[in-house]
Amino acid sequence: MTQTTLASLKGIRKRFGKVQALDGFDLAVNRGELLAVLGPNGAGKSTAISILLGLQAADEGTAELFGHAPQEIDGRRRIGVMMQEVMLPGVMRPRELLEQVASYYPTPYDVDAVIARLSLENLLKRPYGKLSGGQKRQVQFALAICGRPELLFLDEPSAGLDVQAREALWKVVRELQHEGCSILLTTHYLEEAEALADRVAVMARGRFIAGGSVNEIRAHVTRKQVSCVTRLTADSVRAWPDVAQVEMERDRLQISTRNAEALLVRLFREDPQLSDIEVKRAGLAEAFTELTNHSAREAA
Amino acid sequence: MNTVSNMSGSRLWAAYLGEMRFEFIKSLRTPAFAVPTLFFPILFYLMFGILFGSMRGNSKQALELFATYGVFGAMGPGLFGFGVSLAIEREQGLLTLKQALPQPPGAYLLARAAMAMLFVGIIALMLTLMAVFVGQVTLTFSQAAQLFAIDVLGALPFCAIGMWVGAMVSGAASPAIVNLIFLPMAFLSGLWMPMQYMPKVLIDFAPIWPSFHLAQMALGTVGAPSSGTVLGHVAVLTGVTLVFFLLAMRRMHGSGFRLLGARPKRTLAIVAAAGAAVIALSMSGVFGGKQAATEAASAATDATSAATGTPDPEAARGVAAPEAIVLASFDGGSATAAYGVGWSAAGDGMRGGNSSATQQLVDGGAAGSKSALEVTGTIGDGIQYPFAGTMFFPQGPPMQGLMDYSGKKTMTLQARGDGRRYMLMVISGLAVEGIPLMFDFETGPEWREVRLDLAKFSNVDWKRVRAIGVGTMGPVGPFRFQIDDVRLE
Repeated sequence: MTQTTLASLKGIRKRFGKVQALDGFDLAVNRGELLAVLGPNGAGKSTAISILLGLQAADEGTAELFGHAPQEIDGRRRIGVMMQEVMLPGVMRPRELLEQVASYYPTPYDVDAVIARLSLENLLKRPYGKLSGGQKRQVQFALAICGRPELLFLDEPSAGLDVQAREALWKVVRELQHEGCSILLTTHYLEEAEALADRVAVMARGRFIAGGSVNEIRAHVTRKQVSCVTRLTADSVRAWPDVAQVEMERDRLQISTRNAEALLVRLFREDPQLSDIEVKRAGLAEAFTELTNHSAREAA
Repeated sequence: MNTVSNMSGSRLWAAYLGEMRFEFIKSLRTPAFAVPTLFFPILFYLMFGILFGSMRGNSKQALELFATYGVFGAMGPGLFGFGVSLAIEREQGLLTLKQALPQPPGAYLLARAAMAMLFVGIIALMLTLMAVFVGQVTLTFSQAAQLFAIDVLGALPFCAIGMWVGAMVSGAASPAIVNLIFLPMAFLSGLWMPMQYMPKVLIDFAPIWPSFHLAQMALGTVGAPSSGTVLGHVAVLTGVTLVFFLLAMRRMHGSGFRLLGARPKRTLAIVAAAGAAVIALSMSGVFGGKQAATEAASAATDATSAATGTPDPEAARGVAAPEAIVLASFDGGSATAAYGVGWSAAGDGMRGGNSSATQQLVDGGAAGSKSALEVTGTIGDGIQYPFAGTMFFPQGPPMQGLMDYSGKKTMTLQARGDGRRYMLMVISGLAVEGIPLMFDFETGPEWREVRLDLAKFSNVDWKRVRAIGVGTMGPVGPFRFQIDDVRLE
């Protein structure tokens, strides 16, 4: 088990007609890590993943899964896949679907163990087509993990799940990672990436624009978020230096700034009764917006 | 590292089998698939084959339609199983997911084809039980077994056509399009009602439908009138399967679906070679030594003999036909021909029937010639396929000798009669039980020419002709016709 890079894309270019979906994209998933690929719609996330899964061929560049071309079955026998848009045969029951997918793998988990692990017992009696959207996603997740994969591809895994089901899914994802499974996650839910990812790769317009741990990505963002209860108006604060954005949310003033310290000094000077103050570093959401906006400006 | 991803042979085998079982259960649980494919052939046969047939006291029709409804049953599962499901699953992303997963190469297609063949097997069994126990059809075990095999293997060309449709059309449109192919093709191939009730133009065009060829094989098996040779039909059906399969795979591959694993070209080449080999073997059986000029063809011919246990075709080659153009003028005071045995009146007594015929020379032949051969007789109801008429055996003992007519281009004869439809029959080929050519013609009070362009009847083994006959297979009752001036040139 010396191999550390399980899957990689190198210098991938892919064009659909006039749209350059991927423009020299690189990505590597290392053993044991949970890598989240983030990016706005149309950034090329799905194209990149489908090239890595062998569903599409790149115009240029190389894709590898466990040292094989993704079209080769050997590499794919070591992965599990949960896709975003798929309709499984509605007349089949969850256990039948699981048994079928498990049969594709050399050493899958016991189907009953997977059912127990994801608490799917209550879904077993109904055909897949009669399950709710969230229940269907749970079955799809079970199908993704049943083959005892070394690398798990999860595309928007918690879309359509309620909070409880999402927490349960996250718990299993963390456990799997603990057991040595690597995970490639594509998601729109930034909190999902924040909750799970060791490493984040941000994409925009077919390129890799930033990467690193969640904290490193956050550090790309110099802004801080100051929120307080004050008699000052949003309009008056907006005129101050270094203030990027001001909004009144119910009784609280939300200020986004590059220089939180200077802002705080002035706030106390102008309103000594100011209370309930809170200073936050930007979340991944803000970092992400800033990174992609920045890259858009560069491109323009 | 590779040991991790290596599947044991037994696990791989189990994966293929599991896929087949999954597909079968899924299809059974899908009423839109299972009801029309399983019950339409049975229901239609019950109504049109058994009930209507017995109302008219026609058990012959029950047998004939038993054969053709089996073929109807062989069409549905392949056409719908691939045509509709493939179109839908292609659109719904299931096919994409299966490709990302390590589904064994070709498992998707194999499982579906196996499912279609299993469904056809069930239909064939149900039809057989119904024919024997409800339709009172007499059937030998060997006939039933042959029909079963014809139907089950006959599912494959329709799988291939379905695959092509499923690769082309949208999921929403697919059921309508499959029905548009399925139902007219079944009707136009004479599966619902016998071909002889159809307009001539439809009969002439019928050989373009693969189901027609399958039906001829099935009809031949139960001893019903049929055209062409078994090997000719096998060649056509294999060709249809291969062409549509390749078209479908090309289309699917163009849309980014690899249904045949990482090396589709290799798999396609193997399939194409296997199909071509079957076609070559069939054709070499049809045309005999004709292609023996090339080494490959002669090797194929040897393989056919070995496979079928028939003697070396070269040894059983027909005697070259004499130069004589006029085979029989009936002007010399006898019914003998320029060579061979006959013409002689023939009934179906030897096969257990009660149809009979007598013949005599009568004055006033065609085109002012001295005399013609008149055949009169009665078609009885003793057996399912009665025949009476006159037969000519070109070489040696009746039905035993073979004559090579491949150097001739046309066969003509003059005929007139009581207005019935008569047929010119040519029995040929190595196998005595081969299906004869039956060429229908009409008669009236005036002489008419019946003309056969030999090249158009490639299913006849013109190198090995056993017998030429003129007569009728019914309907029951008396008949009278005259023939004159039979020529082969």
